[in-house]
Amino acid sequence: MRSIRMLVATALAAVLALALGACGSSSSGSTTVPGSASVLSTGGYQSPLTTSLTDGKRGGTLQVLDETDFEHLDPGIAYYSLDYTVVFATQRPLYSNKPDAVEPTPDMAAAAPEISADNKTVTVHLKEGIHFSPPVNREVTSHDVAYAIERGANPNVANPYLSTYFSSLEGIKQANGGAIKGIETPNKHAIVFHLTEPKGQFVADALVLPLTAAVPKEYAEKFDTNNPSDYANYQVATGPYMLKNNAEGKVLGIGYSPGKSATLVRNPNWNASTDFRPAYLNEIDIKIGGTQAVIDRQVLEGGNVVENEPPAQSAIKLAAENYKSQIDISPGGGSHYIAVNNKVGPFSSIDLRKALWAALDRKAMDRVRGGELVTNVATHFIYPTINGFNEAGGVAGPKVDYNEHPEGDIALAEKYIRLAGYPSGKYTGEKPIEVVASSGAPAKEDAEIVNQTLKNLGFKTKLTLVEQSTMYAKYCGVPKEEIDVCPNVNWIADFSDPQTVLNITFSGNSIVSSGNNNWGQVNVPTINAAMTAAESVNGKAARGAAWAKIDEELVRDAAAVPFDWDKQPRLEGSAVHGVAQLWNEGAWDYSFTSLK
Amino acid sequence: MLPSGGGALDFLELGGGIASRSPLQLFWRRFRQDRVALVSLGFIAFLIVIAVAAPLVVSLLGLPGPDVQNLNLTDSFGSPLGPSLAHPFGVDQLGEDVMSRVIYGTRVALEVGILGTGIATAVGVAVGMLAGFYRGWIDTALSRLMDVVLSIPILLLGLGVGAACAVRGCVKGAVQPGLGLIIFVITIATWPYVARIVRGLVLSMREREFVEASRALGASDARIMLREILPNLTAPIIVYATLLIPTNILFEAALSFLSVGIRPPTASWGQMIAQASPIFTTAWWYMVFPGAALLLTVLAFNLLGDGLQDALSPRSVR
Repeated sequence: MRSIRMLVATALAAVLALALGACGSSSSGSTTVPGSASVLSTGGYQSPLTTSLTDGKRGGTLQVLDETDFEHLDPGIAYYSLDYTVVFATQRPLYSNKPDAVEPTPDMAAAAPEISADNKTVTVHLKEGIHFSPPVNREVTSHDVAYAIERGANPNVANPYLSTYFSSLEGIKQANGGAIKGIETPNKHAIVFHLTEPKGQFVADALVLPLTAAVPKEYAEKFDTNNPSDYANYQVATGPYMLKNNAEGKVLGIGYSPGKSATLVRNPNWNASTDFRPAYLNEIDIKIGGTQAVIDRQVLEGGNVVENEPPAQSAIKLAAENYKSQIDISPGGGSHYIAVNNKVGPFSSIDLRKALWAALDRKAMDRVRGGELVTNVATHFIYPTINGFNEAGGVAGPKVDYNEHPEGDIALAEKYIRLAGYPSGKYTGEKPIEVVASSGAPAKEDAEIVNQTLKNLGFKTKLTLVEQSTMYAKYCGVPKEEIDVCPNVNWIADFSDPQTVLNITFSGNSIVSSGNNNWGQVNVPTINAAMTAAESVNGKAARGAAWAKIDEELVRDAAAVPFDWDKQPRLEGSAVHGVAQLWNEGAWDYSFTSLK
Repeated sequence: MLPSGGGALDFLELGGGIASRSPLQLFWRRFRQDRVALVSLGFIAFLIVIAVAAPLVVSLLGLPGPDVQNLNLTDSFGSPLGPSLAHPFGVDQLGEDVMSRVIYGTRVALEVGILGTGIATAVGVAVGMLAGFYRGWIDTALSRLMDVVLSIPILLLGLGVGAACAVRGCVKGAVQPGLGLIIFVITIATWPYVARIVRGLVLSMREREFVEASRALGASDARIMLREILPNLTAPIIVYATLLIPTNILFEAALSFLSVGIRPPTASWGQMIAQASPIFTTAWWYMVFPGAALLLTVLAFNLLGDGLQDALSPRSVR
């Protein structure tokens, strides 16, 4: 499961997508990225797809300014983009993504996963010669990977996505931190996953998540008995960097001071010959706190400094006009859409949903988000860089009339309103509809455009702006609240598989009473059945095709109204050769970034 | 304060050749000598006209309505365009005319300021009079209630109530989000200030001769309070209310700034300032004009309050 700001990880399978190359995919340095020139282009500004990953200068200290603190730095818990900037510099999962890639690269693993013919067994062989950082120091084995996943089921760790992506793992339902029946370690450099369903491809794809980063049981177990686990405060690393620690391995107050700072130093036990990361920098000093507008200026006018959160809109303009070489734009930063209540209220009518889609000025919605530099007009739900994007219609999207005029078409909207039973072409219901939106910019502006569009269609509205977390936790994510419209919900895939984009957000089987991510309560039996079937489809191309059909059905059902495929901007100082992560919302990759 | 018959102004009735003046005449004579207060009064009158006739004013100035969106008035980065002949105060991120929104924002500011203060003052006067007049356990109970309410941080109260009542309202729907909610919070939070002042005045006034005379003539408690004491409270109440108005205008602006005040698309100065802060470097006009409107309005009410205090209490020294 994933949500706002969460990671975009890439899909795993080693076989390159057969169908993607033909229709508008873009080749980056090492892989093929689903999309087309128009949605992957960043208008001449640097992007993960164009930045050189090699020839960086070795040495130096990078200063990082983060407005907000990390949520979790334990690889078994970490789930947010900001957390991943540290976790993927210090930890090595079985598979990882190069900064410019959506195809995974073996990291701790020696080669691509072996998926059995019945798709119920996934075998991964580990590289030899990888060691934990001090004070553990010993070589990593498959038992450490097994423990890393097992501890995810420990209530004291409570990994947020284990039950979603590893639900088919044998024995997962009974798991509580001890051995999991479906994980076998035949020798110290092999691990085998036994599944109860033929979902080998999907599980293999999920091995890019940091849950698979090795954790030494004999060292971590005592920390994992605490509730919550404080292994993060004593963690050891397998990557090129480690959080600075003392002889006992303590990180808290030394390499990480909550709300203040974090310091990454070189891992003395890192073996460069086993890793694809160049690790140019000697040290990364992260300062936490401040305000975004001030940080933006400090970075633009600074030297060896970067920020790892999206800059304010005014700073993007300033950078684009005056500091062009210091802005990096990363496509594939997720999508925004309007969730409309499919279950109750006026938008249980498909024609009224189509009317809203037709009337909405999606270009205006994107303009208030910063314009074409950081957005693309969305025409369907699987967004660029995600497998299945091209099969789902690419940039143009499915050919339905309400999708053809991104600037809005009121006449067409009125046609659909008449079809919904309102002969005047205007909605005439008396009860105001409830619109609940996030209060921050630019979500608020989007909400006001949607509100005005609804009024233009005849709806009486009650627009309420609340904190984004409140919007999800108390209103849009709680079905019984029966909110009619949530104008700015956001979704970012955990890895480049279309199931991670569509399943939790649009399957009727995913609706839960709280923390619900199917915000529109979309529950179409034929779509639910198609999703269930597609979950077991194996093979990259086949999965892309299967989920693209579901995407098209969702568009034909006007289940929600997509309006933005995000491109994420980041700023760097003049002395930094920054390399951003395509798969992680454009966050800087400390293992590839260097100083000029 | 303005004492009534039997009070401190009796000396004005004395002196054979001197024409007597009513308290109102005396007040006006003093007030008109305070030019700052007069200008403030004129500005407030101007604001009231603007607020009442906002649609007409906007129309006469040839401006679009306050919630007319026009994204063509933003550049390719989505940044709003600055002041021009067509849009003298520039536009915001949605291409809405800032001048039009500032004009309509006057309505909200004055509604909150005047209505909120009026209700809080009415409640405060009633409670203060009861406490001061009856003393004893009634005074003790009401005074402790005032102490309790005064100990509540008003901004946190506003934030809490605003968040709790954000979508569906609260008190079984009696308090709806928006203007009503803000006035509700203002009333809850500010009546004790008025009540405490009134209580103190009533405590001393109830012992005065004119009250005793009225009581000796068989007047009821209600009559004494409403006909004898209340008129004598007019001056301090007016002065205090005038000074409370700008506080409440600022309170509304603060709540709207923190997104728990006025709902968009209704224009509010505080909300506009909040929206402007992240883009100040590229759209200074969006903060400057609503900010100036808020500053001038609050300043005008404060200066007027000072002038009223001087005119109504000539013995006070500032």
